[in-house]
Parts: sequence; C-alpha cells; structure tokens
Amino acid sequence: MREWAAKHRWESILIVVLAATIVVNVSLSPFYLGFGNFVNLFWLSIEKIIVVIVMTFVIINGEIDLSVASVMGFSAAVMATLYEGGEMAFVLAIVIGIVAGALAGLLQGLVITRFGLPSLVVTLAGLIGFRGAARVLLEDRSVGDFPEWFERIGQQTLFGPFPVALVLFFVGLALAWIILERSAFGRKVYVIGNSADVARFSGIEVDSVKMRLFVASGTVAGLAGVLFAARVGAVQGTLGETYELDIITMVLLGGVSIFGGSGSMLGVVLALFTVLNIRNGLGLANIDGITQTGVIGLLLIGSVLVPNLARRYRLRRPAPEAMAHGPP
Amino acid sequence: MSEPRPVIEIKGVSKRFDATQALSEVSLSLRAGEIHSLVGENGAGKSTLIKIMTGLYPADSGEMTLGGEPFAPRSSADAQRQGIAAIYQEPSVFPDLSVAENIFIGHQDQGMMVDWSTMYREASRILAKLDIEIDPRLPAAGLTVAGQQAVEIAKAISLDVRVLIMDEPTAALSAHEVDRLFRQVRSLKEAGVSVLFITHRLEELFAISDRISVFRDGRHISTRPANEVTEESLVREMVGRDPSDFFARGEHPEGEAVLRVDSLGVSGVFSDVTFDVRRGEVLGFAGLVGSGRTDIALSLFGVHPADEGTIELEGQTLDIRSPRQALASGIAYLSEDRRRLGLSVEQSLVANVTLATLNRYTSALGLIDRDQERADAEALRQRLGIRAPSLSTPVSQLSGGNQQKTMLAKWLNTHPKVLILDEPTRGIDVGAKADVHKFIDELATSGIAIMLISSDLPEVIAMSDRVAVMREGSLIGIYPRRDATQERIMTAAVGAR
Amino acid sequence: MTESAVAEAAPKSTRFLRPERVKEATLLAIIAVSVLVFAFLIEGYLSGRFFNRVTTSVVVVTLLAAAQALVIFSRNIDLSVGSIVGVAAYLTGDFLAATGQGPITAVLVAIVVGAVLGSVNGLLVAYGGVPAIIVTLGTLALFRTLLSIYSEGANVLAGDLPSWVLEFNNVTLFTIAGFQVRLVFLIAVFVVVGLQFALARLRWGRRIYAIGSNPSAAAQAGLPTASLVFWSFVGSGALAGLAGFMFLARAGTISATAGAGLELESVAAAVVGGVSILGGSGTMVGAFLGAVFIDTLKLSLVRVPEVSEFWRDAFLGILILAAVILDTVLRNRFNRRWSAEARKAMESTGPSAVGMARMAGGGGGTADA
Repeated sequence: MREWAAKHRWESILIVVLAATIVVNVSLSPFYLGFGNFVNLFWLSIEKIIVVIVMTFVIINGEIDLSVASVMGFSAAVMATLYEGGEMAFVLAIVIGIVAGALAGLLQGLVITRFGLPSLVVTLAGLIGFRGAARVLLEDRSVGDFPEWFERIGQQTLFGPFPVALVLFFVGLALAWIILERSAFGRKVYVIGNSADVARFSGIEVDSVKMRLFVASGTVAGLAGVLFAARVGAVQGTLGETYELDIITMVLLGGVSIFGGSGSMLGVVLALFTVLNIRNGLGLANIDGITQTGVIGLLLIGSVLVPNLARRYRLRRPAPEAMAHGPP
Repeated sequence: MSEPRPVIEIKGVSKRFDATQALSEVSLSLRAGEIHSLVGENGAGKSTLIKIMTGLYPADSGEMTLGGEPFAPRSSADAQRQGIAAIYQEPSVFPDLSVAENIFIGHQDQGMMVDWSTMYREASRILAKLDIEIDPRLPAAGLTVAGQQAVEIAKAISLDVRVLIMDEPTAALSAHEVDRLFRQVRSLKEAGVSVLFITHRLEELFAISDRISVFRDGRHISTRPANEVTEESLVREMVGRDPSDFFARGEHPEGEAVLRVDSLGVSGVFSDVTFDVRRGEVLGFAGLVGSGRTDIALSLFGVHPADEGTIELEGQTLDIRSPRQALASGIAYLSEDRRRLGLSVEQSLVANVTLATLNRYTSALGLIDRDQERADAEALRQRLGIRAPSLSTPVSQLSGGNQQKTMLAKWLNTHPKVLILDEPTRGIDVGAKADVHKFIDELATSGIAIMLISSDLPEVIAMSDRVAVMREGSLIGIYPRRDATQERIMTAAVGAR
Repeated sequence: MTESAVAEAAPKSTRFLRPERVKEATLLAIIAVSVLVFAFLIEGYLSGRFFNRVTTSVVVVTLLAAAQALVIFSRNIDLSVGSIVGVAAYLTGDFLAATGQGPITAVLVAIVVGAVLGSVNGLLVAYGGVPAIIVTLGTLALFRTLLSIYSEGANVLAGDLPSWVLEFNNVTLFTIAGFQVRLVFLIAVFVVVGLQFALARLRWGRRIYAIGSNPSAAAQAGLPTASLVFWSFVGSGALAGLAGFMFLARAGTISATAGAGLELESVAAAVVGGVSILGGSGTMVGAFLGAVFIDTLKLSLVRVPEVSEFWRDAFLGILILAAVILDTVLRNRFNRRWSAEARKAMESTGPSAVGMARMAGGGGGTADA
C-alpha cells in the first residue's frame, strides 16, 4: 500500500482529495448519495469527459489540441445545417457532422506533422478557425426541432438508469485504458511524448501515430458535439465554447505532464471524478459556475505546486535554479 | 610552474543524497597555473564535487578556501563572481543569441545597457586569441560542438576566472579539435588560471595534466604528479582491480561481404563512398568529427537518405528512406547521442529494450505480450550484464555505462545483420568500456557485420579488422589491421603530407 | 554605436540579414497589400475615419500582444491576460465611480492591479516551479472568479464614471489630413517602442531572451533566472492592467466577464508577429504589427459586402496558420545559412603540427606534460 502510494504519488493525492470532497458533499446534502445524482454528475458533463479521454493521449504524446471545443461546435453546426436544409436523412447528417470533425483533426495533424509546427499554435489557429466556420454555417441562428429519437439518445436510458451516452463513455474509457497501458500503440504514444527523435530512431512511425491521434481527437470532438446537440436539443454557433480549458485542466490535474511522456489513465479518471464531484458539491451548496471554475483552477495549480514545495523542503535546496539539475 | 601555493583548497568535504554518500571527506587543492586532472569511474563523486564548487549544492560538511578566504558559493552566479566557472561535456549555448552575447551574457558587473559595438570588438579579440574565426554577430544556432566549446572557453576568459573546471570537454570532439582545445587550455594555464580537467580518455590525461587525482566511490584515493603515474596504476586505483581484465581482440577469419556500399553520396555532405563489410568483421571508421562518418551511418539508417550510389545487403539492392525500413532490412544504428536519440529515459528498462521490436510482441488485437517481452529483456540483461534494480526501473536511474548497454540490448534485440556503432564507449567508465569491447567481439564472432565509428583512436585500432578513414566527406582509404598504425591513420585523417 | 565600428571590429564581416527584420518587413508588406486589396473592394476605405477606428481599436490588443510576447520570449505563456484585463477594468471603473479621480491616478490603479495579479503568476512559475501554462490556465479561472465574487453580479456603469473616461478614447493630439493621431494609440506605440528598446539594449532584456533560448544554460551561466521570469510576469501583468484601463475607456460599461477570450487573441497576435512560441526569438515591433494586422483584417472584413461578418474568425484561423508556416520556412532557411558559415569558420583553422605530433606520438603512456 505504502509502496504503491510512493510510486503513484499523484494518484494517491487525488484519492485523498476525492475522498475529502465526497465526505464534504455527503455532509452538505442528503441528495448527494442518491443514484440519480451520481448519474447526473457525469451526465451534465458528458461532452467534456468524452473528449478528456482522447486529450489524455494527445498530451501524453507531447502535443496539445486546443481546437476540440471549436471542433465540437463545428461538427454540430455541420449536422444542424444539413438537417435544416431538409434534403437529407438525419442519420446521414449526423455521420457527416462527425466526419467533418475527423477531417478537422486530419487537417491540423497534417499541418503539424508536415511542417513540424508546434501543435499549440496550429490548434490555436484551429480554435479560432473552426469556431469561425461554425459561425459561418449558423450565423446567429439556433437550430433545433430535431427528430424525437435523436433527443431520446440524449435523454433516454439504455441499461437501467444509464443514458446511452453515458454507457458510451464508460465503454470508451475501458477501451482507451487498455489501448494506452497495454497496447503497442499506447507504448508508442508514451515514447514519442518522451522524445520523438528517439522514437524515430527506433523505427517507430512517429508522424503516423500523431496523425492518428489528431484524427481521433477531431472525431471524438465531433461525436461530443453531436451528443451535446442531442442532450440540449438545439445547436448554436457558440456550442461548447471555452470547453477546451476545462478539458485540458482535467487531464493536467490527472498528473499528465504538459511536456508529454508521462501520466496514467487512472490519474485522469480520478481527476475527472474529483472535478465532477467538486462541481457537484459546490452546486449543491448553491455556488455558481464561475466560482466552481475558480476552485478547479486553484486545485490545478495546487496539485503541481504542493508536491514541488514538499520536494524542495525535503532536499533543502536553497535556490530554484538548482532544480534544473537533477541529483547525480 | 610557479610556487605551489593553492588557489582553491577543499578540505574534508562530504555530501549525502538520501541513501547514497556521494562524497566522503574529500580533500583536493589546485595551484595557480596548474592543469589538474580528476579521474574516476562514473559515480566516483566527480560531478558532485563540481556542483559543490560551482555552488549548485551546498556541502554537508567540510570547508573550501579560495585564495585563502573561506569559499561557500550560494549559486553558480556567486561562484562565477568569485572566479570559478565550469564548462560541461555538452556545452550550453543560447542558439538564438549572437556568439558575442553568448560570451558576455553571464557578466554581472556591466551596468544596465548593452554596448553592442564594444561587445562585438571584445568578442572578436578573445576569439582571435583562441585561434577561431567566427563572426561574433552570428547567432550561435549554427555552431558545431567544437565551436560551442570555444564560445564557452571564450566566456571563461572574458570572466577572468581563477579556476576553470572542464567536465569531459573532449567527449564530443575529434582529435584535431581536441588538439586545439588543449592549446587553448595551455594558454589559460600560462595566464595563471588553474584548470580542473575531467576526462575518461587516459591518453589525454597524460598529454595535458600536471597532476592527477583519482576518486573512487566518493573518496579521494590519490594525487600525484602526472609523470609519476602509469596507466596501469591509474586504472587500478580507479576500478580497484587489476587492469589485466582488459580486453584485447584477436584475429578473425574473413567472411563474405554482407553489406556493399557503392559510390554513396549525400550532396554537400559526403560523396563517392565505396566499401563493404563482411560477415563477422568489425570495420572501423576513423576521421575528424564532421568528416562524414556519422553522416554515412545516418544515410545507411535512412535518416538522411543518400541521393547517389547504391546500397546492397546480402546481394539485394536497397533503397532506404527511413529508420523503419533500415531496421526491417536488418541494419541497426546505435547513435552517439544516447540522451537525445538513443533511449527513452523516462521509460522502463524493458520498454527500452523492446522499443525497436514492439511489433514482435504485439498480438492481432494490438496488445503487448508482456511476459514474452520481459523474458527477452531479462535474457539480454543477463547477457550484457546490465546492472539495474529491476526490469521496470526507469532507464534514467541507471548509470551511463548501464544505459549504454541498454541501448546495445535494444539494437541486438532487432537481430541485425549489420550493426553500426557510433561512439559506443563515449563517456562511460573504464569497466563498462571493457565490457562493451568484449561484447563487440562476441557479436562479430556470432556473424554480425559491425561498423565501428569512434574518435578514440586506440579503440578503433584495437577493435577493428580494417579501418576506414574519412576526411572532408571522402573515404581516404581502408587499412587492414596490420597496416593500421596511429601515425598512418592520423596522417590520412588530417590530410598532412 | 555605429555599424561601421562593428564592421571594422569584426573580422570577415559579411553582411547578413537578421531574421527579425525580415519577418517585420514581410508582415509590413502583407499589411500594405491587404490594405490595398480592401481599398479596391470597399468604397471609401482609405479614409481618415477608418484609420481612426483601427488605431483606436488596436490599442487593447497591442498592449496584450506586448504582454504576451514579454513572457513568451522567456519560454512561458500567460493565458490569464484576458482575466487580468477584466479585473483591472472593473476595479479601476469601480474606483473611478467612487472617487472621481483623474486619468493619471486611474492608469496607475489599473497598472498596479495588473502587476499584482501578474506577480501571483510570476511567483508560482518562477519560485513555485509550476509550468506557466498550468499556472495561467488556473489563474485565468481564478482571477475571473475573484472578480465575479467581488462584483456580486453588478456592472460598472458608464453613467457612474467621471465624464473624462469616455472622452479619453477620442483625445486627439494632432490631425493630418483627416488622420487623427489619438492619445491612446500614441501611448500604445510608446509602450511598444520602449519595450523594443529595453529588450534589445538593456542587459535585462537580453537575459529574458537568453532564458527562453536555453533555460538550463541560463541557470548554468549564473543568470538570476527565477527573478527575471518573475519580473517578466509582473511586467506582463502591468501591461494587461494598462490594457484593462484602455478597455474601460472604450467600453464604459464593464461586467464581470469583460475581456474574456482576449488571452487567445493576444497569443495569436504575437505569433502572427513572428514571436516564436518556443521562446528566445521575436520582437515587440513584430507583435505590434501582428496586432495591427489582425485588427485591420477584423475591421475591414465586416465592411466587404460580399463577405458575411461571420467569416472573420474562420479567416483569422487560416491567417495564423499561414504566418507560422512562413515563420518556420524562414527560420529553417536562416539556420541552414548560419550552419554553413559557422562550419566554414571552424574549418579555416587547420590542424597544427603540435597536435599531429601528439596524436601520432602514442595513445597512452607518459607524455610531454
């Protein structure tokens, strides 16, 4: 137990924080432990947490995708525009919407791998550009009145009390976990995040792995956009705006290094639980959304700062510049 | 040499990190105008001592004096102010800044404004003194390792240091560049600077040192004038065992050619290179850094594909465009740059050993067969004698020698037909070096064709069946073992008549 | 400090173009071309009125691009600038509504508020060892939250402000043929020029670049890296605070969400202006031109009748991409040229006889020390 904690320092911290959150929440509200609240917890953030899974891969790989929220909006806008035109089966519109997300990812992946540009910049352009594209498609309209079955995807349950999208999330999570930590592809994601040059010199198809990740990121963001539309029953050009910050925060809070090469799915899942529970608890205590976000921001900084300070105290290193050089 | 008045004196310094005693009660003194070499295997405590001297760590106990005054630097800036600077194996330049700025960036005492014209003039003057003609306005981005090192020395000169610590400055240099570096070091010495010089290359040690100190396991073993030290005594003190364990390679029967390279060239880098490597042979590659040795390797390995000539492996013509293709054809390349190109240091030993062969352990579903992976890694670990707490230990926690062996294990696991070794013993200690040499011999005996690129001339000559010499992008000649004397190879490499 | 002195001093002084100058010139040319294109598409485009609109509206983004560039140079990033603008604008507005003070006090309040928030970022990055992207992602949310708690949902209303605030934007120093040179624009230009000078000429500025160019080498060279990074964040915060005041002067009414999203616009302006996101290179003038370009484009596109106003952002995305691709191509070209020159310089000094003798003399044994 202690050994596990020493090896998984971050996960251990998160478990403590999570446990504390749950205790506080239980004391705050009698409704907290209800099953309905538990489902709701995930349900209201389903679009974000689906993207968090794929973002974990992207960041471990040493890249970042700032465009996910805009791609969500873009995919939903494509779908809504096609539906609005009315000439197409709605199922086809959904598929094209998701494919549009995949293409957005493909385009960014191509620019990143072909020109060797930093993904931070390319996907920043994507963030602005695809949001722009969503606005071009929808201008300031709101498209709704989707077929009933579509909105049911958003609201109806599949097994017992679990909505379809939630089932989708848990299945996706299990798959992603296995891929990241047990498959050759996952191993390559880590190695590339560590050093793309080492990977290339070991015969690993670096560009192809990166491309696949960006396409996956676009596709999943597209899917999340469609699910969002199904849940709220309407699409606007602003759908999902600023979600990228929440999504990236959850991944980083999960202990994934912003520089790539390290992090675990367990950490991200714990972070995800923690964030959702904190928001839920604060919500039950009638604290508004902006303040909730602030608390999460504080947690994000604290989760890196506190272990840093603890380590420095332990080693009694005087100046931060000594931190640049490891022990011998 | 002047009177033996110590400039810096270290008395009974100790330092502990968690469980390891990195230094215990170490004493050392440097005289003015002395070149003092410090040797010892990796982990002997040399780096820790340097870091204490330059203010990166405080000592746990003991004291230092500089020019008779107590000396306890609080930071590297503080150490520099008091006249101690260090140059590391991998020079640390600022690629975006000009050469002149690189030289003067650390100056603490020059007011708020940067006076560009004076700075350029001063930089030119110092560089000229070092026999280097680089335009000081050029950004440092384009400098070679030797050029970067020259900039570091210029920096030390500009700081008027009293003590200059050089931590393996020659590791990445060719013989000709080492020679120039030594001239620069001697002129520093004449100016009264004390130089603490650290190297793994014994012949350099004897060429440059006034006195030699040996460290082992965090303790000071001996300090003696260089002319009283022999190679044997030195090695014995360093490793604590007899140098008779050293490896000398025997003769080999000639096999048939495995790899044939004909008129190979990459425009602007090297051209018209023709050679073959035979089964069971070690073909050495000697030459200055930048003469094209590594470039040939990179083109055979598909990193910079050749644009002329042919490569033939076991009779089949290959067009290699990527490392992936090279590996699939049976060509493996152990890079000279372990940290940047060789190992994924945050990953475990197992993951590194199977890095280039992941597909072999991958099922139809894409999952890794972890039992098989560990079994193979364990076999290679034992075969190479890699010392590691466990197979899951991150490679960053292994010593340099064990990291080098891990890298070798990675390439062996690809079962190569041709193995290119680029500086396989750079920066590793004497014991590990002997292990690697022994292993190279075993590999050749097992039938692998080996290309050995090395700037360590005695190593190339001792290990190779034939030695190919490169100069300025051309293959000058290939000498059979019996003709490969140091004189002949050096003459060919530098182009002297 | 003349070029000729340099030429005399440096041996073999081949002239070479600094990449920053090339980038700035390229961007300037692109701005000129796009203005011409718009002049062709839009009737009455090249008027004093349009010039006045651009020079007024570009002020906030210019100051933020400068704030962003200052930290990007040292290989950091500040995603909290938008929130700092909001807090500074709101607090300054609140202060003015309560006290009715004059412009100098107001500007000082805004700058101090910004600097204090910047110092929080700086403290965490430089002394806490937390990566800048994590810190500022956190404070982006945190500062906004603090503002929202403080404001209790109320807005700063234009009507409550002293009357000079809303006129501040229109204060014109002089007019040339209908082209008004307004005070706010002049302040922004003054800030940019001052920073450009400081970064090129002051030791402090060069060290900021040095840190961004190679952080571990900077520590090794004994540069006070932590304090330099700290102060660059304080400076960045102060600039964002000043931008907050300009925001107040332009908008009048400030809500708790004022300035949201400006962080990305500021990164975009800096990057388009040739500031390398990897640190160590770029200029303030470049960042300024980036801001001008983006703003000109935004204000012009809405006036092209054939183009829906919704195209603006889609276009902007493509533009940023084009700018960074151009930057990479240029950088590679220059690097190749420098390598060639440096290689030549190193080779020109041939091997010496001493070295020959030593190398040939033997690979061990005792030698001539």
